[in-house]
Amino acid sequence: MSAVISTRGLVKRYGRVRAVDGIDLDVQQGDVYGFLGANGSGKTTTVRMLLGLVLPTSGEVELLGGRMPRAGRRVLPRVGALIEGPASYGHLSGRENLRLLDASGRGGPWRTRSARVDAALDQVGLGGAGRKPVKAYSLGMRQRLGLAGALLRRPELLVLDEPTNGLDPQGISEIRELLLDLHRGGTTIFLSSHLLAEVEQLCDRVGVLDRGRLVLQDRIPTLVAPTGSTVVHSPAPDRVRALLDGRVTAVEGDRLVVRGEDPAEVNALLVGAGIPVTGLALDRPTLEQVVLAAAGTSPDRVEVPR
Amino acid sequence: MSDRGRAAAPRWAAVGVLVAVLVSLPAVVGALPVEDADVFAPDLRAAVLASDSVGYSGYAESAGGLALPVTDQLTSVADLFSDRTTMRVWWRGPADHRVDVVTTAGETGVHRDAGGSWTWEYERATATRTEAAPLELPAAPDLLPPSLGRRLLSEAADAELTRIGARRVAGRDALGLRLEPAAPAASVRRVDVWVDGDSGLPVQVEVVAKGSDRPALDTRFLDLELAVPPAEVTAFRPPPGATARNGRQAEVLREAGDRVRPVALPPELAGLPRRVLDGAPRGIGLYGSGVTLLAVAPVPEGLARALDDTLAQSPDAVVDDAGARIAAGPVGLMLVEPPGRGPYVLTGTVTLDALVTAAGQLPELAGTG
Amino acid sequence: MITVELRKMFRRPRTWATIAVLNALPVLVAVLLVVTDLAPRPGEGPPFLSAVLRNGSLYPLAALAIVLPLFLPIAVAVISGDAVAGEAQAGTLRYLLARPVGRTRLLVAKLVAVLAFVVVTVVVVAAVGYLVGTTLFDAQPIGGTSVSGTSLTSEQITGRTVLAIGYVAVSMLGVAAFGLFFSTMTDSPLAATMGALAVLVTSSLLFTLDAASPIAPYLPTRYWLAFVDLFRDPIQWRDLTRGLALQGVYVGVLLAAAWANFTTKDVTS
Repeated sequence: MSAVISTRGLVKRYGRVRAVDGIDLDVQQGDVYGFLGANGSGKTTTVRMLLGLVLPTSGEVELLGGRMPRAGRRVLPRVGALIEGPASYGHLSGRENLRLLDASGRGGPWRTRSARVDAALDQVGLGGAGRKPVKAYSLGMRQRLGLAGALLRRPELLVLDEPTNGLDPQGISEIRELLLDLHRGGTTIFLSSHLLAEVEQLCDRVGVLDRGRLVLQDRIPTLVAPTGSTVVHSPAPDRVRALLDGRVTAVEGDRLVVRGEDPAEVNALLVGAGIPVTGLALDRPTLEQVVLAAAGTSPDRVEVPR
Repeated sequence: MSDRGRAAAPRWAAVGVLVAVLVSLPAVVGALPVEDADVFAPDLRAAVLASDSVGYSGYAESAGGLALPVTDQLTSVADLFSDRTTMRVWWRGPADHRVDVVTTAGETGVHRDAGGSWTWEYERATATRTEAAPLELPAAPDLLPPSLGRRLLSEAADAELTRIGARRVAGRDALGLRLEPAAPAASVRRVDVWVDGDSGLPVQVEVVAKGSDRPALDTRFLDLELAVPPAEVTAFRPPPGATARNGRQAEVLREAGDRVRPVALPPELAGLPRRVLDGAPRGIGLYGSGVTLLAVAPVPEGLARALDDTLAQSPDAVVDDAGARIAAGPVGLMLVEPPGRGPYVLTGTVTLDALVTAAGQLPELAGTG
Repeated sequence: MITVELRKMFRRPRTWATIAVLNALPVLVAVLLVVTDLAPRPGEGPPFLSAVLRNGSLYPLAALAIVLPLFLPIAVAVISGDAVAGEAQAGTLRYLLARPVGRTRLLVAKLVAVLAFVVVTVVVVAAVGYLVGTTLFDAQPIGGTSVSGTSLTSEQITGRTVLAIGYVAVSMLGVAAFGLFFSTMTDSPLAATMGALAVLVTSSLLFTLDAASPIAPYLPTRYWLAFVDLFRDPIQWRDLTRGLALQGVYVGVLLAAAWANFTTKDVTS
């Protein structure tokens, strides 16, 4: 396993504002990395710094083993990107847009260009879009076209900023399948999003950005690992508490948290005492709980200073 | 900071250096040392006067600040002295040269040959043939530094001349020669003629009026090549499709002279002696010499009234009992209308005071006091 | 990359619309001239217009002289101002740079594309001018008269017209460089175009002002009309060479500045 993206002390200052404040990202080959953060937390600036669009105030970015932005010429052809929504020339067809984009970069022989473009369009489900100009596309079609542009050169790393934006539920699930498929083929995916559910469904590692700082970076299974307690639902919480005196750490209506990492053992105790049990599960935190605990309030919330 | 792949400061610094070099280039070229030569003023003047057969071609610009109050017939003359005129010139000799007055959208070319001159006006597509005459109205060729320089120095006394160092004109080292007219009536403070040391050709002439530091007239070469240009450049044949006609400009002068009523003019006015000029109408009196000249002419009533109107509209004009007068740089003009007699015009490169003095000495006025 | 930029430019309907509008004015002037048969008075109106009534094959030059002071520079300012800022506004700039396309390479490709636009536009104006001139006016195919009143053979006229087209194209390079420079400064193509036009208006205004005569030789519009000098006989090279050198200096400096700015700026569009 080698690092695909690694940053050290990455800082971007705009005047006195630190948009990105000392980030140490670490994305390994084969990861599906979820880069979570509220709007305005510095996600997009970070993504732009990864790709050499914005120059860091200080700190280092290493992309596929090359120092950015100097190594951009070498490593960026191996990266596919969707940055802050798709963009294309509205008066041209999707196919022509991709042809132009493909011709812009080095190393795309023109003989195989049509094949590459067709393959990318098929992958995202736009194979039949024909000669329609992009300005007549729906938001979802544009999103697919942007994704096709990122997939053109069969990249080792996909950097995607809000890839499912504007897609309907079917579209979202289609794209999810596509990304998981690509991942199985060996593509590392860096997915920046503010949608927790999306990250949870796709990713195996997550980094959480809050006001320019990386407050959390870990594997999701580790984050939502069992806490060592069991959650019991019972219509008679008082009796449960009486029985398991000292082991109950929280009561919320008919929901009780009981210390003990074996639900079977807890169940046996309760059933033995004749207490009805309607639900029983290992206690594990949701990703949402973990993220909310790590990050503070939403950065678009402006409080009255006290 | 050195980590940044693209540091902005050095790149902008490189641009700044480039701009600084380019901006300072003209100043550096202008500051190159100029070589002065040890030539006495009278010798330099002699060299200038002998230079009319030197062949050259070049590009000259004259800038005049003289707003002459004239009537419609002479606007072309007035424009000459009040505007910036650019000229291309090919000079094979006094009777074989070509001067093109270049404008943005066309040009007016004067091709001089032994018998006269062709004037080509592009925008009218007209070629005008004018026979050579001893006295002609001033035209663009007369503003060329060599022609003007020779004319202004032709009657200068050695005592009026001084050397004033050297400067670079049209890429050549030019020796300065200053003429300060001695006559008290003179309105010209000084004439600076800058002369190409090798050929004696004046390359720049500046005329400064009394009471001013800025040249009233500044004519100079911007490009100059000292080689006799080929004859086919100065020759002219009216092109097919163009209108060819005979010029009547000289007749304006002759007719004006004929219409002048005969008046006996005194031999001296304002301390300037009368002189005789070939071809000048007999009724016009010319006085003075060198750069201090005065012309007196009795004029028809119609012309006087037109002139009077022009003067009345000019804020710079002085109108009193002695008459209406105006100075445009070193050129003064005065209109005298004695009651019951015909009007006179006095004009020349003399001070307004001298004009008043001269007017008082005119025969028809002297008696009335 | 250059071919990509050329394809982008010439597949854009707007490019051709601009060229069409540019040709409308000379055609209109030609029609009015034929209908009224009134030549502009000497010293007024664009160069060569009065000569066209005598020889229609000079109309390409008159057409160039008509569009040169205003229409052509506006068109060039629009296209060059759009070059980088247009991509930034559309958002395609970030995808190009992440492709990756080197920033210097992109700048050069944009310059070449603008250059191609200038050349195509000038040639089209001249060609349409020739068509209009020879159909609407009396054309004399055998030579013509130079500004200096000498006769020119038709080969000379053709050769000098080609040179004039080239010179007008070069004259527009300064505008293009201003447009491109401003285009790297902002994400709004309109602002970049306005910037370039502001420079032009300032330059034209200062040129007419006597007080500005010390800086007049350095104004970008100073030598634009010098293409007329090609039709003097002998050709007056002074202003032409100065015009070329001046445009060269402006293009050099502004491209250097555009490069310094563009290669070190954050692309946040």
